[in-house]
Amino acid sequence: MKTRVNFILNNKSIDVEINPAVVLLDFIRNERLKGTKEGCKEGDCGACTVLIGELTNDEVLYRSVNSCLVPVGNVSGKHIVTIEGLNQGDLFLNPLQKAFVEEGATQCGFCTPGFIISLTGYFLNLANKNSGGVIESLDGNICRCTGHNSIIRAAQKVSDKIISENKNLSPEILTELKVIPEYFLTVRGRLQKISQTGSESITDSKSYSCFVGGGTDLFVQRPDEMMNSQIKLLHNDKSLYGIDIKEGYCFIGSNTSVSDLRESEIFKRYFPEFHGFMELFGSTPIRNNATVGGNLNNASPIGDMTIFFLSLNSVVTLTDGVSERDVFLKNYYLSYKKTDRHKNEYMKCLKFNLPEGNYFYNFEKVSKRTYLDIASVNSSVFLKTENNTITEIYLSAGGVSAIPLFLNKTCEFLTGIELTVESLNEAVSIAQKEISPISDARGSEEYKRLLLTRLIYAHFLVLFPEIFKTEDTYERL
Amino acid sequence: MKDYDMIHHVRGESQFIDDINFPNGTLFASVFYSPVAHGKIKNLDLEYSKKISGVVSIITYRDIPGNNQIGGIVQDEPLLAENEVHYIGMPVAIVIAETQFIAREAVRNIKIEIDPLPVITDPREAFAKGELIIEPRIFSNGDVDKAWNDCDHIIEGQCESGGQEHLYLETQGSFAYPVEGGGVKIVSSTQGPTAVQRAVSNVLGIPMNKIEVEVLRLGGGFGGKEDQASPWAAMAALSAKLLHRPVKLVLPRHDDIIMTGKRNPYSSDFKIGLTKEGMILAYEAVFYQNAGSSADLSPAILDRTLFHCTNAYYIPNVKATGYCCRTNLPSNTAFRGFGGPQGKFVIECAISKAAEKTGMKAYEIQKKNLLKENDEFHYGQTAKNVQTLSTWKAAEEQFRFEQIRDRTEKFNSENTNFKKGFAFMPICFGIAFTNTRMNQANALVNVYTDGSVSFSTAAVEMGQGVNAKIKEVVSRTFSINHNRIKSETTNTTRSANTSPTAASSGADLNCGAVYNACNKILSRLKDSALQELKKDDKNPDKIQIRDEFVYYDGKKTDLGWEELIELTYTKRISLSAHEHFATPEIFFDRDTNKGNPFRYHVYGTAIIEATVDCLRGTYVIDSVQAVHDFGISLNPVIDRGQAEGAIIQGIGWMTIEEVIYNRDGKLLSDLLSTYKVPDIHFAPKVMDVRFLGEPNPVGMFNSKAIGEPPLMYGIGAYFAIMNAVKAFRPGTEFKFSAPVTPEKVLMNLFSCIDETDNITVAAENNKGTSL
Repeated sequence: MKTRVNFILNNKSIDVEINPAVVLLDFIRNERLKGTKEGCKEGDCGACTVLIGELTNDEVLYRSVNSCLVPVGNVSGKHIVTIEGLNQGDLFLNPLQKAFVEEGATQCGFCTPGFIISLTGYFLNLANKNSGGVIESLDGNICRCTGHNSIIRAAQKVSDKIISENKNLSPEILTELKVIPEYFLTVRGRLQKISQTGSESITDSKSYSCFVGGGTDLFVQRPDEMMNSQIKLLHNDKSLYGIDIKEGYCFIGSNTSVSDLRESEIFKRYFPEFHGFMELFGSTPIRNNATVGGNLNNASPIGDMTIFFLSLNSVVTLTDGVSERDVFLKNYYLSYKKTDRHKNEYMKCLKFNLPEGNYFYNFEKVSKRTYLDIASVNSSVFLKTENNTITEIYLSAGGVSAIPLFLNKTCEFLTGIELTVESLNEAVSIAQKEISPISDARGSEEYKRLLLTRLIYAHFLVLFPEIFKTEDTYERL
Repeated sequence: MKDYDMIHHVRGESQFIDDINFPNGTLFASVFYSPVAHGKIKNLDLEYSKKISGVVSIITYRDIPGNNQIGGIVQDEPLLAENEVHYIGMPVAIVIAETQFIAREAVRNIKIEIDPLPVITDPREAFAKGELIIEPRIFSNGDVDKAWNDCDHIIEGQCESGGQEHLYLETQGSFAYPVEGGGVKIVSSTQGPTAVQRAVSNVLGIPMNKIEVEVLRLGGGFGGKEDQASPWAAMAALSAKLLHRPVKLVLPRHDDIIMTGKRNPYSSDFKIGLTKEGMILAYEAVFYQNAGSSADLSPAILDRTLFHCTNAYYIPNVKATGYCCRTNLPSNTAFRGFGGPQGKFVIECAISKAAEKTGMKAYEIQKKNLLKENDEFHYGQTAKNVQTLSTWKAAEEQFRFEQIRDRTEKFNSENTNFKKGFAFMPICFGIAFTNTRMNQANALVNVYTDGSVSFSTAAVEMGQGVNAKIKEVVSRTFSINHNRIKSETTNTTRSANTSPTAASSGADLNCGAVYNACNKILSRLKDSALQELKKDDKNPDKIQIRDEFVYYDGKKTDLGWEELIELTYTKRISLSAHEHFATPEIFFDRDTNKGNPFRYHVYGTAIIEATVDCLRGTYVIDSVQAVHDFGISLNPVIDRGQAEGAIIQGIGWMTIEEVIYNRDGKLLSDLLSTYKVPDIHFAPKVMDVRFLGEPNPVGMFNSKAIGEPPLMYGIGAYFAIMNAVKAFRPGTEFKFSAPVTPEKVLMNLFSCIDETDNITVAAENNKGTSL
């Protein structure tokens, strides 16, 4: 199966017929651009980080991604930037590269191009006024040599300097500062000219063996299989993007990336804490690429997004391209990695009732490493109260069952219950009966049981500090 | 000072094995390994895979022309399994195909039937069953048995320290091609080019002079490529030799993690005796080292555990016993610290427990027992230029220890959700290969007629900056600018019979050899200059080169570096030198286990602080503050980077890096999604490593080795976290088990103390491992 792919790689136009499941990393390295490294091929090390620039509202918006998890079929009409595309002249160092050398922020050098790319993405995003902190922008890159302190010093130094000396960063200013080469300024016009294949909608969904969203799970788990499958890249279907409010519902297109969701004004308004929760989801490049639909359909028992949306009592809309049907997310997961989705269906969107009135929500996640790790246990809660009595509650937990779990019985018990230490203790013991964790690399069964108890307590300590005291939760001591 | 390697790194121009532009006709190798930890091979079915279009050959042990043997210290490690398999990941067959993709597909289609045999993953079980790779090793001093009678407190205990995946960002790999005359040339990502050459020679059955090994640089090594780069090089060379084609073998990450060994896990028993004043009179320790399936470097690693089992303390009566235990895991191997960290962890556990039992503070016991000048180590060496108390006091003063202590106590009295803990961690680490004969190096220095200089040594550049340090030595010795000097690749033809770049000694040994070579050339240059300037003067000592000019009798002349070189060439005097260096004054008797094994020791003291979230069992390392004995650094940016990187690696080993095998010998932490190393958010907010600044009289330009010692500061993180846990749950006795993952912290905070097994967590079923 081959597809025509048309994009700009650094300063070079690419137009090829290619298997769309070839990952961008392999494509780039085949082009003899060897600065982009293969470190793990599972999006966990960042040595293969590249920037993807996409025309958005007539501007080129750049995001860092793990090129090992991007099917090349997803990059049509885009600008791909590798380390070679940042170099200007022999032995010339741009301010970022210079800072890394001065601070000794590179030792063996294998991870370094990825860091420089991510940092460049940070400055390009600053130009677009859409960015977290400079250190957060490097959360998808692992360095095994430096321990990262010298990298922090280098990144902080160069960002302090650039930001203090330049009030309004624009691509033009970044070229003047030599952060990016001048050809970047031509990219917008060139991308406009690349013939867009337009929105590809699906007519015959039966001909595909696999639907692919961002690819951040599928290309970790079975990249070789993808090469030999009839895959359908949903990425190019524009109708699957966006976050909208209609008739009291919030609709999220299945292709919406985690980063888009995190930055969305709707989420910032209704769930201001969500932005912080999602810092624990993957890393910046993963969030830039991973989609809501992909995370939900991967059906991992521990999917962060899934756990959050379970607690909003969400509904997913499935389609085969012709007809549609709705399923409650809490009923969507049947057994380990198995969903109610038929083979010829894909997820169109997810929706939930926009909350109103006096509502509370919280998300908890504990993993071995706090960032860029998969949870040992995660849990999310949404509830409403009247006079300290719970009127409505949705509580979910991941890592404690073969599926992402909606804690039905615990919710039933808590509905209509007054918020007291005793009721919370009772809820915790009901939850223990609903779960069936197993021992694996993320923790023993016993640990996961204890951890869920702790996280349920944590929800209520965080949400109702005036009612619950930490000491109340130590009854097991 | 510009380090050109760094410039290439930040521009993405530095080449690693996988980046080499391979010639047309290159084939790609993929390795089929045993899916079973122990058993007899009943049947190996290659037929289907052989028929896949694009598969060129599948190689098994039967195809090996020489010996199917790559063991270094002990000849107990076949390159490819013959009739038995000894661990999951043991190579059985090599598939050679036109593309990497086809090679992988063919590997997936190989079928093997194995009659399983009992699997041992625990070193104590191996010991009980007599599975010892070498005879037990015992280091002792004084008489512990008598000394117990003089002790007011005797404390015993057990502790576990886990493995550690190297996670060099560049995986193992080699590129090999046949050369005329039946030889092979190999480009390898190895710390030990000569080790590769020897292994290939043995496997191919051809002499070493027909094998050329070339190393450009490594994308990280950390000990993982000291011995364990050899099998992949041997497989690539074997394939290239048999097929007469270039062959590339670069392990995908998943294969690398499964097939290669890690830091040796240890299970240890300790017994420590103290006076009521807190002086340690006697210490006895038994180390059960989990060596994995073969010797590899484990016997040498075990020795270093025994050397460093008293850390930075003077103890008059010591008995340390080490058992090198064979298990059905990949052969564990060198990892930065080389057994030292495992030894030091045990005595720190002993001191921690002694503190609990006696009511003294651990840091008081630590400080009281620090090694002093002229104290004798239990292996017979006299401690010289000791910097234990000096770094301890400097750390106390510069980092305001009293404030740290008071603020921790105040915080803990005011908070229930969060608790803080701190720990001191002094270190003492001996510099030299403990196998004395390895302490030699040779180097080639060429001065070209235009005045540019190149050097070629046995040192392998893997990010530790060894070439920058050597360049500094060349620059200082000739008194010329850095930009005239270039480091060459490491190559067995230019530097033969070399030791691996390991044991923190790469800079010391190779700077020594380069220094000798430069001085050889320099003395010729001086003769040449003297002839030119003062034909009648016979004293070359009157000639000096300073800042690229010749000085005569302290006065600058018009003779510049370039003219001097041209002149010397014209006089038909050699501008090249190949010189040797052997570390002086070291020896060790392996029968008595006494001697003077180390050229010198590296010292230092760190204070580490941590905060534990007692609601969730998570923690952060708040600060690492250390005063380290760098000597006079040859390159402070590089040395600081080495110290910081090592510290974080040590903290990782003690905290979140958890190597988990199940009881079937299957690695559960076999991906980067299940094996977590420190990321940028993990970095402590405060990382302050200060230079003690005391010269090392026996070091190159008064410098000291840096690679490994600071890693051991990381041990302090374990105790800082556990001290915070103790603040939450005072009076409870906890098991000593590293790494102290968030799981162990939470269990320690809330559960009954149970038998949570660190090394082989009972995770029989990992089907549910989530992605």
